[in-house]
Amino acid sequence: MSFKYVGKPIPPQDGFLKVTGTATYTFDLELPGMLYAKLVTSTVPHARIKKIDVSRALGVPGVVRVVTGKEYPYRVGMYAGDRDLLAIDKVNWVGHPVAAVIAETLEAAEKAIDLVDVEYEELPAIFDPLEALKPDALLIHEKMEEYRHSPAFKPIPGTNIANKFTLVRGDVEKGFRESDVVLEEEFHISHVSHCYMEVQNVIAHYHLDGTVEIWTSWQNVAPVRQIMALSLGIPHNKIIVRIPYVGGGFGGKAGLGWEALVAILSKAAGHRPVKLVLSRKEQFSTAAVREGFHAFAKAGFKKDGTFNAYSVRFILDAGAYADYTVNVGRAVGYSADGCYEIPNINVESLTVYTNKIPTTALRGFGYPESHWVLEQIIDRAAKKLGIDPSEIRRKNLVKPGHSHTCTGERLREDAGDPQKVLKTLVDEIGWGKPSENPPEPWKVRAKGLSLFVKGPAQPPNAAASAILKFNEDASIDLLIATGNFGQGTVTALMQIVAEEFGLPLEKVRVDYVRDTHKSAYTWQTVGSRGLFTDGIAILKAIEDAKNQIFTVASEVLRCPKDQLELVDGEVRVKGKPWEKIPLQDIVMGYTYPNGNSIGGPVIGRGVFMSTHTTYLDPDTGQGNPTIFHTFGGTAVELELDLLTGEINILKAVEVLDLGKVINPLLVKQQTHGGLIMGTSISLYEEIKFDERGWVVNPNFTSYYLVRIKDLPREVVARYIETPQLDGPYGARGIGELTMIGVAPAIANAIYNSIGVKLDRLPMNPEYVWRALREQRPDLVEEAWKRFSKYEKIVEVTI
Amino acid sequence: MSFGAPYLTLPEFTYHKPKSLKEALQLLNEFRDEAKVMAGGVGLIAFMKERLLAPNHVIDIKDIPELKIIEYRKGEGLKIGATVTMSEIEKHDIVREKYVALHQAVKAGSDPIIKNRATLVGNICEAIPWVDGPVPLIAYNAELEIMSVDNVRRMPVSEFIKGPVEISLEPNEIVTSVYLPDLPPEAKSLFMKFNTGSEFALATLAAYVNDSKKPRDARLVYGAVSTKPVRAYEAEKIILTNKNISEAVILAAEKASKEIDVISDVLATEDYRRHLVKLLTINVLSRIFEVG
Amino acid sequence: MGRWITLTVNGSKRRVEVKDNEILLDVLRDKLKVKSVKAACWRGECGLCSILLNGKLVKSCLVLAVEVDGSEILTVEGLARDGELAPIQRSFIEHGALQCGFCTPAFVLASHKLLEENPSASEDEIKESLSGIVCRCGTYYEIIEAIKDASKHYQVRKKV
Ligand SMILES: Cc1cc2nc3c(=O)[nH]c(=O)nc-3n(C[C@H](O)[C@H](O)[C@H](O)COP(=O)(O)OP(=O)(O)OC[C@H]3O[C@@H](n4cnc5c(N)ncnc54)[C@H](O)[C@@H]3O)c2cc1C
Ligand code: FES
Ligand code: FES
Repeated sequence: MSFKYVGKPIPPQDGFLKVTGTATYTFDLELPGMLYAKLVTSTVPHARIKKIDVSRALGVPGVVRVVTGKEYPYRVGMYAGDRDLLAIDKVNWVGHPVAAVIAETLEAAEKAIDLVDVEYEELPAIFDPLEALKPDALLIHEKMEEYRHSPAFKPIPGTNIANKFTLVRGDVEKGFRESDVVLEEEFHISHVSHCYMEVQNVIAHYHLDGTVEIWTSWQNVAPVRQIMALSLGIPHNKIIVRIPYVGGGFGGKAGLGWEALVAILSKAAGHRPVKLVLSRKEQFSTAAVREGFHAFAKAGFKKDGTFNAYSVRFILDAGAYADYTVNVGRAVGYSADGCYEIPNINVESLTVYTNKIPTTALRGFGYPESHWVLEQIIDRAAKKLGIDPSEIRRKNLVKPGHSHTCTGERLREDAGDPQKVLKTLVDEIGWGKPSENPPEPWKVRAKGLSLFVKGPAQPPNAAASAILKFNEDASIDLLIATGNFGQGTVTALMQIVAEEFGLPLEKVRVDYVRDTHKSAYTWQTVGSRGLFTDGIAILKAIEDAKNQIFTVASEVLRCPKDQLELVDGEVRVKGKPWEKIPLQDIVMGYTYPNGNSIGGPVIGRGVFMSTHTTYLDPDTGQGNPTIFHTFGGTAVELELDLLTGEINILKAVEVLDLGKVINPLLVKQQTHGGLIMGTSISLYEEIKFDERGWVVNPNFTSYYLVRIKDLPREVVARYIETPQLDGPYGARGIGELTMIGVAPAIANAIYNSIGVKLDRLPMNPEYVWRALREQRPDLVEEAWKRFSKYEKIVEVTI
Repeated sequence: MSFGAPYLTLPEFTYHKPKSLKEALQLLNEFRDEAKVMAGGVGLIAFMKERLLAPNHVIDIKDIPELKIIEYRKGEGLKIGATVTMSEIEKHDIVREKYVALHQAVKAGSDPIIKNRATLVGNICEAIPWVDGPVPLIAYNAELEIMSVDNVRRMPVSEFIKGPVEISLEPNEIVTSVYLPDLPPEAKSLFMKFNTGSEFALATLAAYVNDSKKPRDARLVYGAVSTKPVRAYEAEKIILTNKNISEAVILAAEKASKEIDVISDVLATEDYRRHLVKLLTINVLSRIFEVG
Repeated sequence: MGRWITLTVNGSKRRVEVKDNEILLDVLRDKLKVKSVKAACWRGECGLCSILLNGKLVKSCLVLAVEVDGSEILTVEGLARDGELAPIQRSFIEHGALQCGFCTPAFVLASHKLLEENPSASEDEIKESLSGIVCRCGTYYEIIEAIKDASKHYQVRKKV
């Protein structure tokens, strides 16, 4: 079947506004009479608040009010419900907001925060989740039993555990006994910051009549409203949340935001609009970041490579608040088996409070974490068993239509083709073919593989909907709430609408503002679900609209509905193209020559509702957590400097089974973007804390992001199209996936070639250098000899 | 009190833009401790945002004609005025051809947009341990010209930088220019920086020898490894005394990595830095002496 | 306590009162409403606040407004003439060289400046000249392609 728009490299539809600098972000908005807020944050990691004295701050000209936590004791949250608007009795991390200054100018607010005097009585602080788990550990959340949490989670009051996820399938002990090779390994990752370029910023206007208007740089409107409604007790229809263009999200603008707080500040400031803009420093010390973790894994394999038993314990360092990380902990848990069939599996995933910065999801939502462990286990087992890493993968890959995942869900027949993903990956990277020798003999070149699978982490009842309304000229306004932070989803959705109606793309419009009042509801655009769920809702809305159109046309053309078709903006009788009505004569109702009219304005509606997903059993983790699976893989060829520990990616290959590529240009762009972010996080990014719990690198000079000069030299993206029968045009989601495989592929390359295990992220030069020295002193020695006797003088390259 | 310095705005001050050096010096003499000189402002404004500095007066020297000069005189050397930007230095032919280490250091520093404003003199006066500028200058034995209303003095860059953000400058003084001595035609110099995965260097080296065939004068200056740039005097001696230059390079590298002061910080540990010192030394010296 | 300064912003003369401690970035955005100039770090690290100041690219978060009295400023709003996009802008769209778009004004402006000066910039030169701007969405490959593709238009222009 050939399409006009679907499958075509259509440029991003918001391109014009973005290249001309006229796309509007919350960051750019001002409201008349607007005030500025600035947070006063804690300087100590764990303490009781003895006194807050705001009198000096109030003396700063321009300061309107200073608000403290006690005055507005609202508890907010989406999943864990564990947070007060501002600290009330206790501060729990360095950077914890204890008060907010509201002033006529940002300058005055910034002056005043220095003059808010807070007296603390320090408590011992816990920085490591393993410490927090000890039976005698101090409690960070003393009132956990009061928290209103979602039924999907299991907090354990009286401990520091915000969520305990358990999964049991088969008999893992028996599985180990029956394995020929059993490995035990440990892995760790550090905290990272999303570093979306647009900082978190919110404008709230709490009107005198009780209506609250919000403008925010967040991923989705619905959860913002939901959190505000539940925690502040405001009826949903009195909260209007608007999101214009968003300068990046990566999961970091999906959980709990600042909207409820800023709404309260607006109320406190005499119902004037208030804007809060975080500084980059606050992004690194006060906004939520991605958690760190420890993982302890044990894996049993049969001689022939069969993955027989797997037991893994994830300990997530969730920091002081874990509103979204409880869900990450759950996703890490139920994705522990990746894309392999493991008959016996035990998972425990603990989301644990510590006195560090709060945490939330980051692109991949637990999947990069679980795959960092699993994909390295596979390579380590392969080496022990003397089996090729691609072969051991081939052997254990799930079989759609037959296999069950670790939650006991049977994989659909049309879930994708993991074997083809693996084969394509192996071919593209030239697996088995040795790399060329590096020009400098103290370096080595190596290749590594990693596979992955991902589905959206979401509640079972996460719905989506779409409204599609026609204008007089048969142009279309599509009212959707799909998040719009750079993923290209909206362009793809517009392509689908244009395709279905046979209209030029210019005739389809999606406004750039998402609005709880005007956009059709969608639960959230996270977990790479937007195209899938909202796409389905849109297709249903299209069907609904078409039905209305054909009903009228069939009467006018005196022809049964099923004999009609929509071509080039006209309704035609099949086989008699001269019997037709232009769409614009129908979409507002058809008028006969005598003035009699039938039909009326066409408005299509459609919904997506997942009918087969369930909550997971709290004791065994069994159930259907997700609406689709996307399979993929990453392979890298890299060069490792044995002397400095530097890793340089020469080639990265990404293969994804997307079902259907709706827009090759934008899919490629997402793939590249994920590879680059993945490289950055794998090699360099890490939030560092000192012994006082202070973040010591809260800026882009000491927290390094990959720049344009650090790109992998070559990138290859390949897509497989095994249609998902219920997906829009057979498509599945992609957004986050492209990042998952990068870190394990890099670590595997190094392990395969020289046997050095890299258990920690980031794999920065110093860490790799240490690992090399400890694990392969012989190689380092040899490299050193080569280096110091090196004959060839190369041009100085810096 | 809040954690860190989360400010986006600047504290208040009065801005001055003198048109002559004399006027600038008078202003500085009047306000002294209350004033700060601003060249490119790249460092000063960032420091003020962080509240590390909060001068009541900012004296912008960009309009002073004599500070804009960069010129080379045979026999005398190169003079770089206080408001000459990194971009101008990077594009300067003599710098590229003759003062190679300086050229490389400037090229490797920050980015082209920053360099349109940042000055070399500002880079020195900032005296942040990680910066690149002072390292080659010390290797060239460069000197600063420093003026106040009633005095002009010269001081080697190496003495001027006393420690992290600590310089030998009176509150009423301005650094007017940096002087690099003329170099013998056989002289060689190189700069190298290790900063993979970091904006700032973890370690740098600027090396200078008067003659790579018959070295009689050699300087090895390491930056970003300690609280200020450090010289490896013992290692320099090895280069000058050891007849077998290939051997000397290795020995000097070993020596340098042991003899100099090195610290641990956010960017790297002492161990790793000492190791980098060794690598940089071999890399740079083997290029200078063209040995394997 | 304020002073009046005059700036030519994208071709139009603007007079504005500023305080000595005001940053050019804030004056452009908050007072002159030039919103294409973004910020993500406020201290010279991200490059999103880059503007052309008297023909030179600078990061406006590290410039005082008072110091640039009388200057000419060009931002991305000033690139398109009479609704006609500059070639680099068209190329950014065609190559999908933007995702969230927050970094786009800075990249477009810097690329435009690069090609005007060096229409046959090599890949290394492109990378070097843009190394001070961050795109967290990771659109770098597309940006490089967009610049390479647009360069022909600038080569022609230079000849003319
Ligand atoms: C993102 C970023 C990346 C950077 N990367 C690097 C890098 O890789 N390598 C590197 O070396 N540097 C780097 N820097 C630092 C930068 O090079 C320096 O901040 C800059 O060179 C300072 O020069 P300036 O003219 O802007 O100084 P200013 O900001 O004007 O002044 C800096 C300080 O010196 C004083 N001062 C300036 N001129 C004089 C004078 N003539 N007499 C007396 N005092 C004076 C000022 O009072 C102030 O205290 C980076 C900076 C940024 C923001
Ligand atoms: S805001 Fe100016 S460089 Fe980041
Ligand atoms: S497109 Fe999002 S930061 Fe560049």
